[in-house]
Amino acid sequence: MENIHLAFKFIASLLSSPFSRGDAYLDPGSGSYLLQLLLAGLLGSLVVIRASWDKIKGFFSKRSNEEAETETDEEE
Amino acid sequence: MKKNRGRVKASFRDPSGFLFTRAGKLYRQINHHYQDEYDLLMSSGLYAALVNADLLIPHEEVDIEAENPETAYKIIAPEIVPFISYPYEWCFSQLSDAATLTLEIQKRAMDFGMSLKDSSAYNIAFRNGLPVLIDSLSFERYREGKPWVPYRQFCQHFLAPLALAAYKDIRLTQLSRVYIDGIPLDLASRLLPWRTRFNFNLMTHIHLHAAAQSKYADQEIDKEQIRRGMSKTALAGLIHSLDGSIKRLKWAPGDSAWADYTDFHSYSDSAFHHKKEIVARFIERTKPDTVWDLGANVGVFSRIASEAGAQTVAFDFDVSAVEGNYRACVDLREERVLPLVMDLTNPSPDIGWSHAERDSLVRRGPADIVMALALIHHLAISNNVPLRNVADFLHQIARWLIIEFIPKEDSQVKKLLATREDIFPLYNPQGFTDAFQSRFTIHEEIEIHDTKRILYLMEAKANS
Repeated sequence: MENIHLAFKFIASLLSSPFSRGDAYLDPGSGSYLLQLLLAGLLGSLVVIRASWDKIKGFFSKRSNEEAETETDEEE
Repeated sequence: MKKNRGRVKASFRDPSGFLFTRAGKLYRQINHHYQDEYDLLMSSGLYAALVNADLLIPHEEVDIEAENPETAYKIIAPEIVPFISYPYEWCFSQLSDAATLTLEIQKRAMDFGMSLKDSSAYNIAFRNGLPVLIDSLSFERYREGKPWVPYRQFCQHFLAPLALAAYKDIRLTQLSRVYIDGIPLDLASRLLPWRTRFNFNLMTHIHLHAAAQSKYADQEIDKEQIRRGMSKTALAGLIHSLDGSIKRLKWAPGDSAWADYTDFHSYSDSAFHHKKEIVARFIERTKPDTVWDLGANVGVFSRIASEAGAQTVAFDFDVSAVEGNYRACVDLREERVLPLVMDLTNPSPDIGWSHAERDSLVRRGPADIVMALALIHHLAISNNVPLRNVADFLHQIARWLIIEFIPKEDSQVKKLLATREDIFPLYNPQGFTDAFQSRFTIHEEIEIHDTKRILYLMEAKANS
């Protein structure tokens, strides 16, 4: 009984949370909401890692391009 | 005027607005409730960006009396899509392309400070051969910290059926017809092979997602965690992860794509060319705007209609044939052919609330021309449908009919009768025309060279 009470309190807290507004007609589902919050750290970190990796790759490909250009210049 | 008289019955769930028809035209009323979000969509540049990229259907604001003036903010007239189709009629690549489109729209919306508030597959239609979002009211202002509201819907409508098709069986996409709000994730989780738990994307978005739904349905949650919210970077990560999940799911058509193709070559080249010529001439004579090709296979004859300028829907029961046809349409940019999966012995019914959310095939007709080539023997002999009943059904969906009669001496019919008793004494040209003349006027009948097959051009009689 207490569990049901707590579940209702939780859903009520979701509805009154700063993210919710009256126009959200779709029920996001408490499990789906919470899974996203649990994954948030991991998914966010992956975005940051990917962006940094792209920068590193970009840096080296730029350098190798520059080197290649220099070599071509030298050959000329 | 009485309010809500023209309201489209399927349009009731979202308080942002609704569709209605007036004098045969389709409009969307936007309610005051949605005013801020609609204004932001238009003023932020998102609408223009999406329309220019062919991702969202364009609309015009019109000055007509509102359907429900008390709640109305604006009325818009959306561009009309030639044929509304549903996810259970799509092949694998159509569903996959619709999913990718949804995520692409979400990414662009975030660039303009907005987000999707739903991600229903029923908000997607195929126009000019490619998917497009047809619900202009699917957007809301993005609020930092808020998780993605349509996450569950996206997984149910797109990820679950695609994963089931890729890892288990393509026929499982038909579950979407039973579960109108997408395949429940606990069901998808149970049906998917165990090895999918070692796939990070499916483990997270299907298995863990299903477990989270079940766990948090009746448990206390750590409120501290909810307050921390979800950063924009994390949301971008979620969308990226879903996008990767969709793109990694693959399904290749089997040999059946070409199974019926042999039908085209069960007779000589000259017969094949003669048949194409006759069909082209019948189409030229009737000048249709819309053509439905039933049993279209990979769409050889559908293309005669589309090249003549008709919006053509190429239906086939064989998902592999539809998949092959769709890929060819995309590769060759054939904009007027829409391949769809349809079992004519059990065509799409009216489903959803009050039987009125998704229309049956019949309700989406009639087409100017229905083509039924190399089809009648499958219905009359394989499926035991009396010719009279075939005529009755086709009469419901066709203004004109191009139909091929294939007699018993044809190799294709002989094959069907090889393993069963011939209980079809009326299956002959006379029995065929007798059955069809109750519903249609026969304008032309031509025997195809080197065969005993006959092509008919018929016009539907008015309902008596």
